[in-house]
Amino acid sequence: MVLAYTVAKWRKLSVETSMLSAAVTGGLAGAFIRTPPIGELARHLVEGSFTYLDVILVFTTATIFMAIVSESGGIDYVVRGTIKYFYNFRLIVLLLLMFIILIPGALTGAGSVSILVVGAPVALAFGYLGISKRRAAAILFIVAGLSAAAPPVNIWAMILSAGTAIPYVGFELPLGIPVLILGTFTVLVLGWKRESSRDKESVLKDMPEVPGSMTWWKVLLPFLTFFGLISVYRIWPFSFPILGLSLQFVIAAIVALLVSPKRINILVLSRDTIKRLLPLLTTMIIVGMLQQIMTATGVRGLLSYAVISTPLILLFFLLALIIPFSEGVLTYGGAAIIGIPLIWFLDSIGFHATIAIAGLSLLWPLGDGLPPTALIGRLSVMVSKYEGSYWRFLRTTWLPWIVITLTGILMIIFSSKLEFLVRWSM
Amino acid sequence: MTQNGGKIMTIIMILYYIICIYVTAMLLWNFIREKKSLDNMLHYLLVMIPLILRVFRIK
Amino acid sequence: MTSIWKIKIILLAVILAVTTMAGIQLYRHRHFQVPFLAGPGVTKVVSLSDYAKGLKGTMADTYVFFLEGKKEGGKALILGNTHSNEPAALLSSLIFLENAVMDKGTLIIIPQFNNSGSRSTRPGDGYPLYFDISTPWGKKTFRMGNRDASPVDQWPDPDVYIHYPDRMLLSFLDVRNTNRTWPGRADGPLMEQVTFGAMEIMKHENVDIAIDIHGAETMFPVTNCIVAPDKSMRIATMTSLIIKAKEGFESHVEPSPSKFRGLSHREIGDYCDTLPFLLEAPLPFLDQPTGPKTVDLLLDGKDPFLLSLSKKKKLFVPYDENGWPMANRVGQHCSVILELIRQYSRKKPDRAIKIQNVPRYADVIKNGVGFYFQDPLKKDKKNIYYN
Repeated sequence: MVLAYTVAKWRKLSVETSMLSAAVTGGLAGAFIRTPPIGELARHLVEGSFTYLDVILVFTTATIFMAIVSESGGIDYVVRGTIKYFYNFRLIVLLLLMFIILIPGALTGAGSVSILVVGAPVALAFGYLGISKRRAAAILFIVAGLSAAAPPVNIWAMILSAGTAIPYVGFELPLGIPVLILGTFTVLVLGWKRESSRDKESVLKDMPEVPGSMTWWKVLLPFLTFFGLISVYRIWPFSFPILGLSLQFVIAAIVALLVSPKRINILVLSRDTIKRLLPLLTTMIIVGMLQQIMTATGVRGLLSYAVISTPLILLFFLLALIIPFSEGVLTYGGAAIIGIPLIWFLDSIGFHATIAIAGLSLLWPLGDGLPPTALIGRLSVMVSKYEGSYWRFLRTTWLPWIVITLTGILMIIFSSKLEFLVRWSM
Repeated sequence: MTQNGGKIMTIIMILYYIICIYVTAMLLWNFIREKKSLDNMLHYLLVMIPLILRVFRIK
Repeated sequence: MTSIWKIKIILLAVILAVTTMAGIQLYRHRHFQVPFLAGPGVTKVVSLSDYAKGLKGTMADTYVFFLEGKKEGGKALILGNTHSNEPAALLSSLIFLENAVMDKGTLIIIPQFNNSGSRSTRPGDGYPLYFDISTPWGKKTFRMGNRDASPVDQWPDPDVYIHYPDRMLLSFLDVRNTNRTWPGRADGPLMEQVTFGAMEIMKHENVDIAIDIHGAETMFPVTNCIVAPDKSMRIATMTSLIIKAKEGFESHVEPSPSKFRGLSHREIGDYCDTLPFLLEAPLPFLDQPTGPKTVDLLLDGKDPFLLSLSKKKKLFVPYDENGWPMANRVGQHCSVILELIRQYSRKKPDRAIKIQNVPRYADVIKNGVGFYFQDPLKKDKKNIYYN
């Protein structure tokens, strides 16, 4: 599979097509010993394509929603307001922007939603604060990753809790405290330095014009609709129907369309948005196929076996690599393949499972910047309009990356001593 | 309003099928318009696979 | 025709061919019917939708079999395939269905509790679609299902599942997991209606004990055991001790955690008078570090990675070259169920339940699981229920 991927890349095929060729080759190789039987190969590939279908629908609807807000001039309006009122209070504006990125991901468990919903205006605001596009993309990537780990919804922790029969309770402080500290550290380290200095008036003059009839409530109403729908289910879960994230985004998009001061051709906008999202959507499809083929052939079991068999001390060092890379290759699949047996193992030798899960779930989002999938990394680069080398962008994150890694691993090692955080959360 | 009262859940499910059909139509439109990239043509079709099978209530 | 269009048509044809081929296999799997043969003890067959109206006409509806004894006594409920990727549960409940004869009391069996899940596959996990069990008259084919209900029957999932009525946050997937949706609601999501239906049976029929059959990974601490809340603990402990002494296999007792909501062994006991028990037998097929997910692995439970991990003491059950065959798992369930019922009958003689003709652990290992399944061709059609 690795060979097929390398050959495909060498033939200058895209990352996604190279991954597809790895999946198909893996399946064909397995078919020689009937794992899986050749007649089942098509079914395995197609069944695998369903693994992240709901995620694909969320990505699509969220991005169309944001495209409408952007097209109507809402984003420019928000950024202009932020700069106008907070330009001279750097600490406050940076923390404010950090919270804006943290909220959507914390509520939905998907850092990608943070980027898709608020990434573009926040990146623009960073630009006007004298932060380069590369650093802006780096802040977005790290903080959006942390938002996915933040409570109340952390999908890695939920997958691990569901798979290990540990209740998904008591995560508020073990996740909330590190996320806030690490998020503040990240925005200060990457955003404190003003790389270009300009006065407020010239910045405001350079900003794009906003349609005259745009108002705060026109910008806020679609977002209030979205967060309102999420909150209503949280407050009255037994009397309000389950809408799901995709439909919540669609409803918010309809509201945005209705209040837009400009006429928007929704069909053309949807078509172009899907074209822009294509690499991400394809990645999700092919990662699912790859995951299915790896399981049907036994490759996934072998990887899992290798991790579980590693001596404990060595394992703690290797976690810094294994966890992010598993996310880079398999996204959430990594949590199931490596995370579940790892937590069982750690639990059985006296580590505190809830804290260990919290520690691990700080490491997983880092992998969302790593190829081949690099989901949040690529989205961060896309919304911040950074056009340089992807590796240069990733290198910019080195200091927060190391601090987050150390925090996560130390939380696992000292999990039994940090057990009080779980008690205090309940 | 209850979660299933007035068949609300069924209506919500139908709305999801409509979302799937809409996304599939946009993918198909892009596929037809694509003039150069063989990669992109393949990718539009790949993304359509689960959407189509879901709309037909097969998987 | 331009070359671009030729390429497009070729690509379209290839993707369409692959999708159609797979689509047909997946459609057939969803609609494949397994014959459930009502044995000599069956006196009444109803649907779960008789107790939860919202299930009528959906793929979540399922058969409920009553085996009523001539003498009045207590009542026991057996749930199979709460998780349809743990098939020893279905096979054990079918052995009871096809063979049990009641001397006293009533046995209620729901072999395919999560019917929707049994008609779904598990994306990303590479399971086979079917598995066969050898019988004296040929092979009996079963669907291999999924842990959760099919999204074709219940869609969408919430961003996070809020358990009714305790408001505990659970994974979004658990809204389709019939061992997280207890006690359920009449008007909740479909899987809450499934568990609600079972709760209604227990309340209306005054069920004394409920047994939910499962399988669990060998690397999972809660495996090879009986999970019981405080109110069921004494009977579970006696059962564990007796089967160890008399039949020589282990099935220890695990307490049901009071803060983990939505599970049958928690909510049944908290929301009605029935005593709940959840049985776990080791299921190597579900472990993450295994070789390919084949039918052989599912049936014999032999895996070289698990053998190696066992030598490194990383499994929670004894494991050797013999693996953990299906007959051992099914036999174990049969014996534990019979013993739980016997212990309950000893404790409450006025509500005693007496069952005959069900094999125990040693019998199932000796004869194989299929030995206890009847030939549908030799059975009166009115006694065959396709589920």
